[in-house]
Amino acid sequence: MNALARILIDVTARLLRTVDLWLLGALLALMTIGLAVLYSAGSETPHLVWAQAARFVFGLAAMWGLSRIPPTRLRHWSPMVYGISLLPLLLVLAIGQGKHGNHWINLGFFYFQPSEVIKLSLPMMMAWYLQRETLPPRFHVVLIGGGLIAIPLGLILLQPDFGTGMLVASSGVFALFLAGLSWWWFGAAVAGAAGVAPVAWFWYLREYQKERILTFLNPESDPLGAGWNIIQSKIAIGAGGLTGKGWGQGSQSHLDYLPEHTTDFIFAVLSEEFGWIGVATVLALYLFVIGRCLWIAAEARDGYSRILAGAIGLSFFVYVIVNGGMISGMLPVVGVPMPLLSYGGTSAVSLLAGLGLVMAVGAHRPRHTT
Amino acid sequence: MGPRRRQLKNAAAEAMQFRRRAAIAFLAVAAALATLGGWYFRLQVVEHAEYATRSDANRIKPRPVVPGRGLIFDRKGRVLADNVPAYRLDVVPDEAGDLKSLVKRLSTIVALTPEDLERFDKERNAKRGFRPITLKLRVGEEEAARFAVDRWRYPGVELVPYLNRRYPYGDLFAHVIGYVGRIDEADLAKMGDVDSALTHTGKTGLERYYEDALRGKVGYEKIETNVQGRALRRLGQVPAVPGADLRLSIDMDLQRAMVAAFGDNDGSAVALDPRTGEILAMVSLPSYDPNLFVNGISHQDYKTLMDDPSRPLFNRNVLGGGPPGSTVKPLIALAGLDSGLRRPEDKVFSTGEFHIPGQKRGYRDAHGGAGWTDLRKSIAASVNFYYYKLAYDMGITRFDAYMRKYGFGAPTGIDLAGENKGVVPSPEWKATRSKEHWYPGETVISGIGQGYWVATILQLARGVSAIANGGNLIRPHLVASTRTGFDHPWLPTPQPTPPRITDNPAHLRAVQEGMMGTMQPGGTGYSLVHGAPYLMAGKTGTAQKIGRRGNVSVDPHQLPFNLRHQALFVGYAPADNPTIAVAVMVEHGGFGASTAGPIARKIFDAWLLGTMPDATPQTNDPTVADDIGPAPAPAAAEAAR
Repeated sequence: MNALARILIDVTARLLRTVDLWLLGALLALMTIGLAVLYSAGSETPHLVWAQAARFVFGLAAMWGLSRIPPTRLRHWSPMVYGISLLPLLLVLAIGQGKHGNHWINLGFFYFQPSEVIKLSLPMMMAWYLQRETLPPRFHVVLIGGGLIAIPLGLILLQPDFGTGMLVASSGVFALFLAGLSWWWFGAAVAGAAGVAPVAWFWYLREYQKERILTFLNPESDPLGAGWNIIQSKIAIGAGGLTGKGWGQGSQSHLDYLPEHTTDFIFAVLSEEFGWIGVATVLALYLFVIGRCLWIAAEARDGYSRILAGAIGLSFFVYVIVNGGMISGMLPVVGVPMPLLSYGGTSAVSLLAGLGLVMAVGAHRPRHTT
Repeated sequence: MGPRRRQLKNAAAEAMQFRRRAAIAFLAVAAALATLGGWYFRLQVVEHAEYATRSDANRIKPRPVVPGRGLIFDRKGRVLADNVPAYRLDVVPDEAGDLKSLVKRLSTIVALTPEDLERFDKERNAKRGFRPITLKLRVGEEEAARFAVDRWRYPGVELVPYLNRRYPYGDLFAHVIGYVGRIDEADLAKMGDVDSALTHTGKTGLERYYEDALRGKVGYEKIETNVQGRALRRLGQVPAVPGADLRLSIDMDLQRAMVAAFGDNDGSAVALDPRTGEILAMVSLPSYDPNLFVNGISHQDYKTLMDDPSRPLFNRNVLGGGPPGSTVKPLIALAGLDSGLRRPEDKVFSTGEFHIPGQKRGYRDAHGGAGWTDLRKSIAASVNFYYYKLAYDMGITRFDAYMRKYGFGAPTGIDLAGENKGVVPSPEWKATRSKEHWYPGETVISGIGQGYWVATILQLARGVSAIANGGNLIRPHLVASTRTGFDHPWLPTPQPTPPRITDNPAHLRAVQEGMMGTMQPGGTGYSLVHGAPYLMAGKTGTAQKIGRRGNVSVDPHQLPFNLRHQALFVGYAPADNPTIAVAVMVEHGGFGASTAGPIARKIFDAWLLGTMPDATPQTNDPTVADDIGPAPAPAAAEAAR
C-alpha cells in the first residue's frame, strides 16, 4: 500500500512537474466559482454547466500539454505559428458566421474562432522578434513590432470584432511595453487616438457600435432600448449589496431582466448573488493570477520567455477590466467575456492554453541552485 | 549578428528593465482592479438601497384585485342585485399585432356585436396600448371553451374571469336600484388610476347614488413577474375592501303588489313608513330590464326604449313632477290655520264660483256650490272655493313660504341622484321665466294646486307622511342599513332630524280629520273604503295637461307623455295609527281621476292585510267622485288678467 501510494504520488508529481501549482490553484478556484454562477444563471439550461466543464477540461489539458514544451522550442516555432494563425483570419472573412460580422468558422462539431489563436501567436511572435533586438526597442523596432500587431488587428477589425481586436492588440502592446518601450510612445498614442476617434466615428464604427458608445454615455436616455442592458446590469450589481442575495436568488437573471446572463453579463449575476464580497474575491483571484504570471516572467532567464509570459499575463487583465467595467457602466459596451466565468466561446480554452505557455516559462528556467 | 551580440551584452540590464516594467505593470493592474472594485463598492454598498428598490420595482408588479360589488337586499333579506361569475375577453393592443385581422379571426369563434366593436374602437383611442381593453363581456361558456382551445393563436388576448352584476327581478326594481354600466371615458376621468381596474360603475338609481360604498376599494397583489410580465408568484397583497351591502326598506312583496295594482296603467307610486321615512315600495311604470344595460345595451333595444311614448326609462317619482292638484289642499288648509287666517270651524260659503273683488272672471268648482264649508269639509269634499279664497286672503308671498316649509320646491333628499326639486308658485319664480308680473288670479289657482306648481310624487308622499306622523317632515329613503362585509353587523343609515311642519297639534288634528272625512260618506274617496277593516285617510286630485273635451277616447299609452292627465291620490292608513303613507299618480290620456285611489287601497291592503291584488287590468270605478281642478293654467292665467 505504502509503495503504491508512493508510486502514485511520484507519478502525479512527475505529471504536474511543469504545472505551476499557485496558478493552477487560483484558476481552479475561478473555474469553480464560474461553474457555480453558471449553474445559477443558466438554471433553465443545465447542460451549459457540463458543456463549460468539458471546455475547462479541454483547456486544462491544453495548458498541461503546452506547459511541457520548453520555451526554446516555442521560440523556435513562433514565426511559423504566427504565420499559420493568420490564415484562418483571412478565411473567416470569406466563410465566417456571426451575429454582427464574420467571427466564427463552422467546423461541423464546433464553431472555431480564429481570433482566439492569434491571442497566443501574437505574443509569441512579439517575444520572438523583440528578444532578437536590443532593448529598449529602437524606433524601427517599434514600427516593425507595430506592424506585427497591425496585420492581425486589421484582419480582426475587418470582421469586425472590436473587442477581440482590442485584446489582441493589447497583448502586442504589452510585449512592447515590457520590452522597455519609451514612454513617449504612449503619449503619442494617446494624442493619435484623440485624432483618430472622429475618423473612426464617421468612417469605421458600425451603427450598433456607435449606439453602444452613446448608450454608455447616457444609458437612461433609452431605458427600454439600447440602455436596457446596462441599466438592468447595474441594477443587478447594485441590488447584490455587500453580501449578495444568495446563490440562485438573483432575481434579475432568474426573471430574465438581465440579458446575456450566462455570457457577457455573468459577472453581474455573480455580483447580484454574492455581493461585493464575491466581487472582491474574484478580482483578488484575477490580480493574483496576473501577479503570478508577472512573477514567473520576471524570474525567467531569457528575453523571449519574459516577454511572452508577461504579455499573456497582462492580457488577462484586459478581459477583466473591460468586462467588469462594461457591465457596471464604467466603460462602454464591448463584447469581451469575463475570463473563466463567461460561458462559451473558445476563450476559456485559449486563456488556459496561454497560461500553459506561462507555466512552460516557469517550469523550464534554469535553477539557481543547480 | 550585431543586435544579438549587443543583447547578450546587455542581458542583465534588460532583465532589470523588464523587472521594473513588470513591477510598474503590476501596480497599474492592481490600481485598475482596485478602481473597479471601488466602483462596484459604490454600486453595491453606497448606492445599494436605490438599486435594490429598482430591482424590486422590476420584478414586483402590483396587480389590481377587484372587490365584489356590494349586494342589495330588500327589507326581508332577499337579494335584489348580486354578482355572478363570468368571463370577458380582454385585448392588449400592443401585444395583439394587427387588430383588424385579430378581430376578424376572433369573430369566428366568439360572437362580436357591432356595439362591442364600436366600443372597443372608442376605448382603444382613449387608452394607452399596454392597457387591456375589454372586447366582449359575458363570454358564453361555449365561446370560452372554443377560445381556450385556440388561445395560442391570439397573442395579447386574455379570457379574464370577473363578477358580472345581475338583477334577478329585472324590471321590478329598475327605477329603484338602477343599473351599472361599462365605465366610459367620462367615468374614467373622474375615477383616477387606482380604480381603472374596474369595468363597471353605477349609472342610475341606487347603483349610482351609493357607487362609492358599493364599489369597495380595489386592492393589490404584489406579483413577481418575469421580463415578459408573466406572473410567477404572489409576494404580498393589499387586500381589496369589498363593497358595502345595502339593505333596502323596500319590501319586495309590496313592490310586486304595487306593480300589480297599477295593472295596465302607466304612472308611479311611493309607499313609505310615515314614522321613519323608510320607503316600502316605489314604482315608476312602465319599467325596463336593467340587465340590458349591464353589458352594453344593443342599439335596437335602446331605440325601442327611447321611442316608447310612455318613456320607460323615465323615473317618474324622482325626475317627474307636475301640478299636485287637490292633493296639496290638506297642507294649504294647515297653512290657513297656522297663519291665523282660519280656524278649523270657520265656514266659507261656496257658491261654486269664486270672484276676485272687482273682476268678472269666475273660478269654478267642479261640483257646483257646496254651501257652508268648514276646513274638514273643504278637504273631504275637495271644495275649491274654500282654497281660492284662502289663497287669495293669504297672498302669494305667505303662501309660498308655507309651501316651502312643507317641503315643496326643494329635493326631499331621497338617496337617488338627480331629484327634481319642483316649483312652488311665486312672483320670484315667475320673474325668472317671464317678463310679465304676477297676477292675483295666479295666486287663486295656486290655492288648488294648479298653475305654476310642480310637485313630485315623493314630495307629496312626504307631505302626507308629515300629516300622518304628527308633523315631522321625514326624509324619504331607500337604504335602511348597510354593512361593510357579510361578517359585519348591519348599521342603520343615519337620518337627519326632520323639520316640523306645525307646532299646533289641534291644527294637524283638524287636517287629519278632513282627510279621514274623504273616506267617509260625502267624501271624494268614500267608495274606496268598502270592506276595509282599517281606517284610511286620504286626498284625491287631478292634474290636467290638456283640455278635457275631444281627448276622451285617446288611448293613454299612445298619448305623448307631456300631454297626459295625472290622476293623483295621497293617503295613509291606518288613520288612527299610520304605518303606511302613499302617493299615487296614474297617467291618463282622457277623463277621470278614478284610478289612483283604488291603487292606493290595494297597496294598503297588501301592506296591512297581506292580500295581493290580482294582476287583471284596472277598470275605472264610475262611482268614485271625479275631482278635477278648473281649466288649464294658461286659460286661467289669461282669465286672471
